[in-house]
Amino acid sequence: MFSLKPPRPTFRSYLLPPPQTDDKINSEPKIKKLEPVLLPGEIVVNEVNFVRKCIATDTSQYDLWGKLICTNFKISFITEDPMPLQKFHYRNLLLGEHDVPLTCIEQIVTVNDHKRKQKVLGPNQKLKFNPTELIIYCKDFRIVRFRFDESGPESAKKVCLAIAHYSQPTDLQLLFAFEYVGKKYHNSANKINGIPSGDGGGGDSGAGGSSSPKTPLFETYSDWDREIKRTGASGWRVCSINEGYMISTCLSEYFVVPSSLADQDLKIFSHSFVGRRMPLWCWSHPNGSALVRMALIKDVLQQRKIDQRICNAITKSHPQRSDVYKSDLDKTLPNIQEIQAAFVKLKQLCVNEPFEETEEKWLSSLENTRWLEYVRAFLKHSAELVYVLESRHLSVVLQEEEGRDLSCFVASLVQVMLDPYFRTITGFQSLIQKEWVMAGYQFLDRCNHLKRSEKECPLFLLFLDATWQLLEQYPAAFEFSETYLAVLYDSTRISLFGTFLFNSPHQRVKQSTEFAISKNIQLGDEKGLKFPSVWDWSLQFTAKDRTLFHNPFYIGKSTPCVQNSSVKSFKRTKKSYSSTLRGMPSSLKNGIISDQELLPRRNSLILKLKPDPLQQTNSQNSDMEQYFREWFSTPVDLHGVILPRLSGTHIKLWKLCYFRWVPEAQINLGGFITAFHKLSVLADEVDVLSKMLRQQWSGPLEACYAELGQSRMYFRASGPHDTSGTPEFLSSSFPFSPVGNLCRRSILGTPLSKFLSGAKIWLSTETLANED
Amino acid sequence: MASASTSKYNSHSLENESIKRTSRDGVTRDLSEAVPRLPGETLITDKEVIYICPFNGPIKGRVYITNYRLYLRSLEMDMRNLRFALKQEGHSRRDMFEILTRYAFPLAHSLPLFAFLNEEKFNVDGWTVYNPVEEYRRQGLPNHHWRITFINKCYELCDTYPALLVVPYRASDDDLRRVATFRSRNRIPVLSWIHPENKTVIVRCSQPLVGMSGKRNKDDEKYLDIIRETNRQISKLTIYDARPSVNAVANKATGGGYESDDAYHNAELFFLDIHNIHVMRESLKKVKDIVYPNVEESHWLSSLESTHWLEHIKLVLTGAIQVADKVSSGKSSVLVHCSDGWDRTAQLTSLAMLMLDSFYRSIEGFEILVQKEWISFGHKFASRIGHGDKNHTDADRSPIFLQFIDCVWQMSKQFPTAFEFNERFLITILDHLYSCRFGTFLFNCESARERQQPNPVEQRYMELLALRDEYIKRLEELQLANSAKLSDPPTSPSSSSQMMPHVQTHF
Repeated sequence: MFSLKPPRPTFRSYLLPPPQTDDKINSEPKIKKLEPVLLPGEIVVNEVNFVRKCIATDTSQYDLWGKLICTNFKISFITEDPMPLQKFHYRNLLLGEHDVPLTCIEQIVTVNDHKRKQKVLGPNQKLKFNPTELIIYCKDFRIVRFRFDESGPESAKKVCLAIAHYSQPTDLQLLFAFEYVGKKYHNSANKINGIPSGDGGGGDSGAGGSSSPKTPLFETYSDWDREIKRTGASGWRVCSINEGYMISTCLSEYFVVPSSLADQDLKIFSHSFVGRRMPLWCWSHPNGSALVRMALIKDVLQQRKIDQRICNAITKSHPQRSDVYKSDLDKTLPNIQEIQAAFVKLKQLCVNEPFEETEEKWLSSLENTRWLEYVRAFLKHSAELVYVLESRHLSVVLQEEEGRDLSCFVASLVQVMLDPYFRTITGFQSLIQKEWVMAGYQFLDRCNHLKRSEKECPLFLLFLDATWQLLEQYPAAFEFSETYLAVLYDSTRISLFGTFLFNSPHQRVKQSTEFAISKNIQLGDEKGLKFPSVWDWSLQFTAKDRTLFHNPFYIGKSTPCVQNSSVKSFKRTKKSYSSTLRGMPSSLKNGIISDQELLPRRNSLILKLKPDPLQQTNSQNSDMEQYFREWFSTPVDLHGVILPRLSGTHIKLWKLCYFRWVPEAQINLGGFITAFHKLSVLADEVDVLSKMLRQQWSGPLEACYAELGQSRMYFRASGPHDTSGTPEFLSSSFPFSPVGNLCRRSILGTPLSKFLSGAKIWLSTETLANED
Repeated sequence: MASASTSKYNSHSLENESIKRTSRDGVTRDLSEAVPRLPGETLITDKEVIYICPFNGPIKGRVYITNYRLYLRSLEMDMRNLRFALKQEGHSRRDMFEILTRYAFPLAHSLPLFAFLNEEKFNVDGWTVYNPVEEYRRQGLPNHHWRITFINKCYELCDTYPALLVVPYRASDDDLRRVATFRSRNRIPVLSWIHPENKTVIVRCSQPLVGMSGKRNKDDEKYLDIIRETNRQISKLTIYDARPSVNAVANKATGGGYESDDAYHNAELFFLDIHNIHVMRESLKKVKDIVYPNVEESHWLSSLESTHWLEHIKLVLTGAIQVADKVSSGKSSVLVHCSDGWDRTAQLTSLAMLMLDSFYRSIEGFEILVQKEWISFGHKFASRIGHGDKNHTDADRSPIFLQFIDCVWQMSKQFPTAFEFNERFLITILDHLYSCRFGTFLFNCESARERQQPNPVEQRYMELLALRDEYIKRLEELQLANSAKLSDPPTSPSSSSQMMPHVQTHF
């Protein structure tokens, strides 16, 4: 349908490249090679040649020459020059090294040096000068800069305007996912009934390959039914009154309600709720307590009555007929605007330039963003609800005006703490489907894909951050790694997937049906177009790269080989731990901090809870303190409840996510990843050895290593007693590479990197020379 | 004594052994006795008390005071002791108070430190871990340019230096004596470390005695030139003065100063802006304030920032990096000094050596590093810590060694796989820095140890214990460094079996 425009013989083809550049840019055959890689349905909107991509602010020696292209999906910069200084590139199959998806663009600034003019480009705006420079501020904290000194001024201007126009579409249907999926339907129309193969449903969710289970999307009755059975909830049923979105357009078609409430009653009640969002079941504790979320009852007259009925129904669904504990999230947690404001400040702090200048006031500046404070607030509130569900055996109702923001967050976080299933990759993905996507979290508005929403808020990121805090505190409790969380966050800004594109499931169906009609696509029985799912990670990463999602610390209940041995050693450590505990009056705090650092420090939560003067007298709160104190004084069961440590010192900045594009903050050959690497190699070796044991392999070991193809680990052991050192591409921002993504000074990493980089007895001067 | 005064006893058990370790150390635990005792440890008194734990509330128990520790055997659960309220009224409390004072500050009451009474026997003689001759041989010394001298054998050249020194081959003993007259406390420039390939060296000393009049000393100038020439480089000798330049200038008033450009043509001087022991002490006090008795909650980060502790840590590390960088680049040898050359200088040389030489990042190597750069070169442990002394306002007291350990910890957090030891090893070292169970950190310098006389300096013991506790907390709870919370990487085996060099009871 669309093909790449051949290089037109305009005047810029004859323009000589600047003297300091290599002549290779100029040669005609090479220009032909500079072709963008296009996805189905992707079209080139505009392009300009002889563009210089700036790599560092203080020198132009690393700059790259190439072609800048704007498509309906991304900004692409195509160059033949190799990336300078970069040692590793984590490749996304959908995006080239220099590409930025249009939905990832935050702001576009054009500059004219000579006229000393600068303009932030909105959609459909005019540009009165010819830009010499284009700066793209990305939502993921990257800053990309292009210079047009040698390119045709008119073409440069056109590309800038095209980028501004296409990155700020006027309509949802102009987002690339529609074009992409439409194309897929067209292409496969001849084959099978118009349904594209492969990218419909959950995809293969697992990072490791086809063997992992599919992620339930909760679009169907059966997914909900299975979830009820999985949690062992009794007294709850799947309700289908919203089939075809007849009741509410911001709820999913199926959801779970107390068995004692009849469809007819629910239909009547629904009118009283904001957005007709009646109580939705999230999860049930093995003790029968349920986690429920609902919107406010707007009908003041009916309020008491309906509230009573709902609470009675929830009580009835509890095997012990326990009471209901209501939590008003709007009153206890920061609101959407506050979270957005915190994020804006955090971003300013992280992209601040020069970075070093923030240093002296770094800690207080960080505190002033209030980001960590909010992370902590959510963790704390969720932990308190865990106490109510787990210890007081009460069902919890999360109340929020619309019930589709804070309650998504709190409901998910509580489940991550309580249910180890949600700490696996599949489980976590199903949780996001269940509590965010299907529950009507307004991804379109909150992510601000159309760049015109006043409702932008990084609540989902805040949730990932809170999850990361738990991962940081209990690294062995999660199947996924922090890379997975960061990549998941990035995926919210790739407008190819349907998962994070809409405000509600209904919006997807409505918009895509309209689109299908306008494009003459036969939908058959389908409810709307089947967009690719984010959970189909094979669309973005190779099987090998997906293994980076796996956390080598994780001791799974279902993973095969490593498990046996690890579980054993885990139990052993537990034992020795408790014997230490029994023995003498030495708490963990002093001196020998027990034998495992993975075990929690005590007291932190208690410390946290104590100073709150209002709650001091409340007996319930002292019970809660007691619960936390006891929980922290016993060894943690990684397959049971995990509670966050909440003191200010325990809540940290998620550096991988926020600092990965900042070269100055990088630790070359250092950081957590080095430990991750060592452990991966070890875990892999154990995997291989136990496989071999099972197979009673008698061949030479080395051959074995070569043949045992699949591993859960990204870093493989090359043989028994692997002694190879740390790979030189490792840095604290691994697998991301800050180089070239942010126009910064060309410093790389902290100076310590020069020294502590390995097991070398003597540091040779060559190494240093290379680094310099 | 009202409860206010008892609460002054923010005291901890002097030992934080778990039962596990104690039994490994060969302590047989008599079940009839409540307290597991070390050989040589004797029970002084005991009493029923209520322990007011700031975290868990009051706990009933029985407190035991031995000549080594304060020990609480709890009726409810086992834990560390922080603060006691003696429940009973009247006279009995007074006894406890007096006994505690007596044994907590033994030196102020003419009692020996526990290390002198300790009758523990160890399989390994910790004092043999560091053998200066072997360590210098490991570095390839002596060689054509550097020789080992015993000029200080009886500590007559410099009483705060070790007996064995490495000096330039071309400098005679007479030269050394003349140089000594021009260096504060006779601490002449001697070699700390030599780069095995480019032969540049790290040399340490104290400030030159320039004074207000700007005195010069030809021997000193010549001596530095000899050092410069040892690595056959034509470049200048780099001098790092750890102090802020203002302080260095101010030192002229008391007879000190720094190497001026006029006098030392072949040297380049840089100031590293690291503050003195008093500043560090005050900074750490502020850290203590925000973590004890309650960890500052609402404004943790800004409170932490306001202590400037991390800023000081950063300056020390930055200075050490500069030293290491200069030496590893092979461009020139480095001379490091501050005022007396036993605080900041020790920090800088040992950290730079830790960066340059991975041997020091092993457990044994680290012990050697501490023995060499700190203990043998006269870091005044007795004065800085104030063992057994109750004078807590002593201006000599300063957490310099602790700061060094913190720097090491920061490095290990950034490079979790570069060190054989983990943070528990570091904490254990600090525990014994204060415990007086071993002789390692008891003295100001080698000669003091050999005189076998506990140094009568004024210090307060209890407060340091509080410091220790707070430090541990801080280790756990700080901070910026990217921390791999779990796991010692497989390359760092647990270090608890290899403790700090142990000490025979009588040396």
